[in-house]
Amino acid sequence: MMADDNTEQTKTAGQMPAMKPVVDVAAETAKMETDKMWVIMGPQHPFSHGLWTLKIKVDGEIVTDAEPIVGYLHRGWEKEAENRPYPKIIPMADRLCYAASMTYTHLYCMTVEKALGIDPPDKAKYIMIIADEINRLQSHLMWLAAVGTDLGNFTVFLWAMREREYWMDMNVRLCGARMTTNYPRIGGVRNDTPELFDRDIIRCTEHFEKAVWDIIGLIDDSSIYVSRMKNTGILTPEQCANLGITGPALRGTGVDFDLRRDDPYSNYDQIDFDVPVLKQGDSYARYMVRVEEMLQSCKIIKQAMAKVRALGKNAPYRLKVPSNVPAGRHFAKLEDPRGESMMYLISDGTDKPYRLKVRSPIFVNVSASRELCMGCRIADVPAIMAMIDMCLGETDR
Amino acid sequence: MVYSSILDWVNFPDIMANPYYPFETYNLPYDISQKLWEIIGGTIAWLINLLFPGNPVSEWLVCDMTVNFFALIIFMIVVFLVVFIGILISLWEERKVLGRTMDRRGTMVGMKGFLQCVADGFKTFMKEDTQPRKVDRMTYMWTVSLVIGTSMLIACMIPLSDRWYVVNYNTGLLLIMGLFALAPFFILVSGWSQNNKYSLIGGMRAAEMMISYEIPMLILIATACLMAGTFNIGGIVQAQYDTMPYFIPQCIGFVTFFVCANAEAERTPFDLAEAESELVEGWQTEYAGMKWGLIMLADYMRGYVSCAMITILYLGGWNLPFIGDLNNYVPELVFLLKTWLVFFAMIIVRAALPRVRTDQILNLGWKVFMPLSIINLVIVLLLKMGGVF
Amino acid sequence: MTMDYLEKYRDGRVNTAKTLWVMKPIYLILRLFNKTVVHRPVTILYPYEKLWMPDNYRGRPALAFNTCIGCGMCARMCPTTAIVLVECPDDEGKPVKRPQVNMGRCSFCGYCAEYCPTDAMTMSPIVELAEYTRADLIYGPRRLAYDHTTDGMKIDIEETLLSDYQAGNGERRINPAKTDRPVLDNAKCISCKKCFKSCPVQAITMEEHGKNAKGRPILWPSVDDQKCVSCYTCVDVCPKSALHMNEVL
Repeated sequence: MMADDNTEQTKTAGQMPAMKPVVDVAAETAKMETDKMWVIMGPQHPFSHGLWTLKIKVDGEIVTDAEPIVGYLHRGWEKEAENRPYPKIIPMADRLCYAASMTYTHLYCMTVEKALGIDPPDKAKYIMIIADEINRLQSHLMWLAAVGTDLGNFTVFLWAMREREYWMDMNVRLCGARMTTNYPRIGGVRNDTPELFDRDIIRCTEHFEKAVWDIIGLIDDSSIYVSRMKNTGILTPEQCANLGITGPALRGTGVDFDLRRDDPYSNYDQIDFDVPVLKQGDSYARYMVRVEEMLQSCKIIKQAMAKVRALGKNAPYRLKVPSNVPAGRHFAKLEDPRGESMMYLISDGTDKPYRLKVRSPIFVNVSASRELCMGCRIADVPAIMAMIDMCLGETDR
Repeated sequence: MVYSSILDWVNFPDIMANPYYPFETYNLPYDISQKLWEIIGGTIAWLINLLFPGNPVSEWLVCDMTVNFFALIIFMIVVFLVVFIGILISLWEERKVLGRTMDRRGTMVGMKGFLQCVADGFKTFMKEDTQPRKVDRMTYMWTVSLVIGTSMLIACMIPLSDRWYVVNYNTGLLLIMGLFALAPFFILVSGWSQNNKYSLIGGMRAAEMMISYEIPMLILIATACLMAGTFNIGGIVQAQYDTMPYFIPQCIGFVTFFVCANAEAERTPFDLAEAESELVEGWQTEYAGMKWGLIMLADYMRGYVSCAMITILYLGGWNLPFIGDLNNYVPELVFLLKTWLVFFAMIIVRAALPRVRTDQILNLGWKVFMPLSIINLVIVLLLKMGGVF
Repeated sequence: MTMDYLEKYRDGRVNTAKTLWVMKPIYLILRLFNKTVVHRPVTILYPYEKLWMPDNYRGRPALAFNTCIGCGMCARMCPTTAIVLVECPDDEGKPVKRPQVNMGRCSFCGYCAEYCPTDAMTMSPIVELAEYTRADLIYGPRRLAYDHTTDGMKIDIEETLLSDYQAGNGERRINPAKTDRPVLDNAKCISCKKCFKSCPVQAITMEEHGKNAKGRPILWPSVDDQKCVSCYTCVDVCPKSALHMNEVL
């Protein structure tokens, strides 16, 4: 699992007790007797993208403890899902994550397809790959925008949001809605790709592959951005394993693991793409992994679109499925933009699920905020937490 | 004397002939104010005289001493209004330019968006003026008043030309710098008084900023004064007109001063004291309504003063090179245009860069800008000794 | 396959020691400033200019009053129960059942348009729905009308049967409204005629199959395959659960 060239990382990880802080907190504290205070950031704080609270204990400017509090957005999603037929859960699954809605819908449909024992047609799988990657790009661009505002620059926010608009338009072209798409179906997708969609998405991809370099130039070629992100919020692979961290945060620490490649679903094994891995484990590594993932998503979209085109107009894209699901326990997992999300379904033979459990990557990742924030400065907290890419819809469910 | 028409009351005498004339040289805003009072006071005097012919009040209204007194009051208003409108224009400029750099349009409310400033003023004025229960009321109100007051004072004290000034003082530059550097003290005390953790951290950051940026900035001012040989603002501008604008010999100093002025005005790469994403609004968190509106206005006034200092010290003030006597027509406008040009550069910097961290700002101030300002001083000393200036 | 970005920046093209190196962002900002001053920004002036939306855009539901048959499939499939069937007079004054949509609850998922067997329900591109009261948000059948419905706005379910797919005959597409038919469990039927009365397309006829012990006729519904739209109304109204939908797979 581990990347080959992370010898330095493992060496330091063995020596350091828990984390590698920017400053030695213990020594700093011993030098001067200062009162520590709890600063509460959230739910109305501009740093929290959504309703959550981060309590940090500061000694002057240095953070010595942190505690995340989530649950403000709890809507009883899982209980609600128990009371409605399977097709009617699809629009609800859209509302789990507002930045990448289709990945959760896709995950739900995959779970039910597994329970039904059917395999959707190839065309549906490729279309869902395109849809997933459009959503990954949207989600990452929204995250990139948030990085800009968290570090105090509004330009990156608006430039990233401008690029995101084009992918939103692709969503509209594909399924008629910008965010709550209601596009995947159990056994396929809602509709075939519309006319000229292939032309539009290739144009959009090519435009994005050029335009993203402007945003990268604003961040990576700016020493202030880079120095704000480098060497802050360092995680080690061991910590990731203990805390259950997945997604770009995991790949930023040097663990080469991506569900799309290592446990492929939806014909991802037919597609050629690279998984970016960096071994530094700091905020900047997480940032770079995400940016590279965006560029890889463009490549995936191009390949998947070519496959869809090769399958032709008449290929089946939606299977007729029974409304009752046989009794059983099934779970499916998928590489969300933020990490590894899973759904666990207990069905009892009726047309409604008996239990539907969602495993949200952010709910797990945010538990690392103490390890991430220890020893950094207050000004680093938004930068570090931006790299977690909070999405409260799925966290609180 | 028999006064028959209004023209007997309203006459525009030479202002220098007034024995109570408070300035030593010709002063344009005072001239305007005196003429305004001639019209207003003369009309009142004429009206009163129509009702009560030969009364002493009418004559008192147009005598030298009274004209001087009322002209000074109008003088204050005129000077403040010009500065105020200049600042509103720079605010509008920031909104439009920032909008264009971010691929959007900026404000669109009336007069190409200029009336948005007025709308904002009304909005903050109508807002509820809340005050937290546990603040230290005296310091809470006094410090913010002093921040706003000193900012307005120095904004008005910047001369727009050698005929548009409030005081023509031989150490005028030092006076402006002294008042300019006062604000961080008030911000620090204000942060303590608000009983709010964000404000406290913001106030401490303002103090950190002050100690890291004041010293290079003062060294650079001293360098410029050394080059010109005077602390008088008019003298510095004249010296640049006689030789060359100082940003050519002091290019290191110019860049350093630009960054330091950015920090002094607490604009975005250095707005640590009000870092939005981590400390809600920093030291301004607990100020509501018009107090906050005035604080924002004071921010822009400090931005204007920073730009004006750069214009005076490095860009040749209100003179343009190579055009000779044409400089006598509208030097005030030239000065304001140069100030807005510097402000444009500040806006571009704001659009391009994120906020720096507290330890980085200390590092920058002491390890980069301090040596740079010393190098600049050495260069100027060598030039002086070499007899170039 | 290469990773362009990581290869360029992995080892840090920017040396962080050079903390003053900020020229590239400023150049990019000035370039965009020039572009937006000479041309125009990418934003539009919303109330005066509007974006073009493709035909399949999902705004509020729209109803073609006379195409609707009042089967209630939209109300049945609505995940937020925003749709209820109400009685209202049609053009000739006869009372008919038509859907009424509460826009305050509508989640714009498009299920009503998707499952509508006659394409009477479509999703219109209208999104400006603000009203002063909640009562104003309730759209009656007549208010749901939208005059500019195009073919692109209509969406049909085109499903492939699992059996067809497994047999390699994947290109045949059907709509469940054309295959699924209600099936009677004869033993449970009490001849109450509720299905016959409630069928929106009059596909059900009651056929006599002898007489019972009391001498009354035994009436069993029989479904006309051509008329039936598979709307589940008869299945829902049956008091003895004698009818169930036969899902063709």
